[in-house]
Amino acid sequence: MIHNKDTLPQQPAPKGSIGPIAWLRGNLFNGPINSLFTLLGLYVLYLLVVPTIQWAFIDADWVGTSREDCSRVGACWVFVNARFSQFIYGLYPSEEYWRANIVFAMFAGIIAWMVIPRLPFKRWMTLFALLVFPVIAYVLLHGGYFDLPRVSTHRWGGLMLTLLLATVGMVGALPIGIVLALGRRSTMPIVRTFCVIFIEFWRGVPLITILFMASVMLPLFLPSEMNVDRLIRALIGLTLFQSAYMAEVIRGGLQAIPKGQDEAAAALGMTYWKRMGLIVMPQALKMMIPGIVNTFISLFKDTTLVMIIGLFDLLGIVQAALSDSRWLGFSIEGYVFAAFVFWIFCFSMSRYSQYLERKLNTGHKQ
Amino acid sequence: MTQAATNASDLMVEMHNVNKWYGDFHVLRDIYLEVKRGERIVVCGPSGSGKSTLIRCINHLEEHQKGDISVGGVALTQDVKRIEQIRRSVGMVFQHFNLFPHLSVLENCCIAPMWVQKKPRKEAEALAMQYLERVRIAEQADKYPGQLSGGQQQRVAIARSLCMHPDVMLFDEPTSALDPEMIKEVLDVMVELAEEGMTMICVTHEMGFAKTVADRVIFMDQGQIIEENAPEPFFNNPQSERTQLFLSQILGH
Repeated sequence: MIHNKDTLPQQPAPKGSIGPIAWLRGNLFNGPINSLFTLLGLYVLYLLVVPTIQWAFIDADWVGTSREDCSRVGACWVFVNARFSQFIYGLYPSEEYWRANIVFAMFAGIIAWMVIPRLPFKRWMTLFALLVFPVIAYVLLHGGYFDLPRVSTHRWGGLMLTLLLATVGMVGALPIGIVLALGRRSTMPIVRTFCVIFIEFWRGVPLITILFMASVMLPLFLPSEMNVDRLIRALIGLTLFQSAYMAEVIRGGLQAIPKGQDEAAAALGMTYWKRMGLIVMPQALKMMIPGIVNTFISLFKDTTLVMIIGLFDLLGIVQAALSDSRWLGFSIEGYVFAAFVFWIFCFSMSRYSQYLERKLNTGHKQ
Repeated sequence: MTQAATNASDLMVEMHNVNKWYGDFHVLRDIYLEVKRGERIVVCGPSGSGKSTLIRCINHLEEHQKGDISVGGVALTQDVKRIEQIRRSVGMVFQHFNLFPHLSVLENCCIAPMWVQKKPRKEAEALAMQYLERVRIAEQADKYPGQLSGGQQQRVAIARSLCMHPDVMLFDEPTSALDPEMIKEVLDVMVELAEEGMTMICVTHEMGFAKTVADRVIFMDQGQIIEENAPEPFFNNPQSERTQLFLSQILGH
């Protein structure tokens, strides 16, 4: 018996089951209790949002030079305005700002180049970013070469320092983390033991302790003529700390790759490093993008802890500005500004990771 | 097999008194197996009898603890370089295909020729297309494994192995994970391969395949080779009771 010889024509969906009204009815007002909660929620939102907007935008003062320019009804962004260059560059001498600006611009350019899929020569750009850019950035920021006056690292600060710490931390932590993760899964007992001890040591100690030890304890053990820059010490501490976390994230990803993948690669005669580099790691890293970005975001925020060893990152410099007697009482503005800048960076990373996940996921759902 | 005398250089795979344990469990017991160039061996036996372990020892995916294995006259040792050398000449097809899901079909086939044999990309791709053509899947070359059916994936896996020009092909239950309607397309490719003279050791329960192409059928149970014979006497006149029981179980319905 044949049921439908011809395909039935497509019919429109019933009225009221699609469109915004239907969405509202389906999601916000489907029943008396949900309607009540919706209204209650809207009211709470109103209570929160309206005063915030009033404070931050409508009643806020934007231009001026001193605290007298602020009405004090709303936010006094004059404070942030007046201190803006310090928030960005720290105590970097203002006549040398152009050097930091070049580095900022190159940094932004590199990020944009890597992120925009259309642009070619990604591989060369990566090499440039990893090998050439750090040298240029160091020469420009630190000076002492090509008649550039020296700016010692204790004058670096603000957003510049935050980005420096975060970038070096991320770029360093990922490869070290990969090596540690592979080492922890190694069949060689000495390698494995070393990696386990390393990871567990760095993971078991609070970052603040590590920074403190790097800045206060380390010089006591090192010979006095060996004077490692404080910023370098902080960078090493931060990188090793994050690489331990990264290692565990990546190990999780490696465990999720079926053993058959490594076996198939081995059966084709690939060496260990080719199996890892061409077959296992690309799949594991792809799977681990959320975890890796999560670690990056937490690293980005953890950089604020360098305050404890007297480095003035963005938050540190905001806090220092708050204790300026001419600008007492603007801590809310200061913190809101710092929070906003941090949020912008972290949220961008989060969005990019979501985009990356979607992009890389096509074609191999198995 | 009619030629009784075998020249030593004709031996492709030699396993002499191979023993293997998983902890205390004795998985392979005194395995003695010699496979001549061009010979087609089918290994069968109940699950857990060690047949997969046996062929996985040949390319050292599993390590044996006692006895000697050599492939093409090269003795398998602990030396990593030696193991990789042997693996380059031994192709393997897995039960679950194990294609690389992050690479396209073409890339799956090119990756080993390019990175292991250092062939230029162009040459590797031409080679890959030639073998994909042979397993009748060239039109899917740009797809990813996840977009193919099981039978198609297994054919790609066979092509991937062939791209390395192996001297021996090992098949580890190549059709067990397939839907029934896809078994034939894979077996057809394997039969063609056998007809071209490839040395094959094949763990399978496809007795029809064994009857058509095998020179010898090996029956394993509890880690030992119980019986070994040409297919015709093996199926019609099995000698051991365990073989009779096994055959009655898989053929008797």
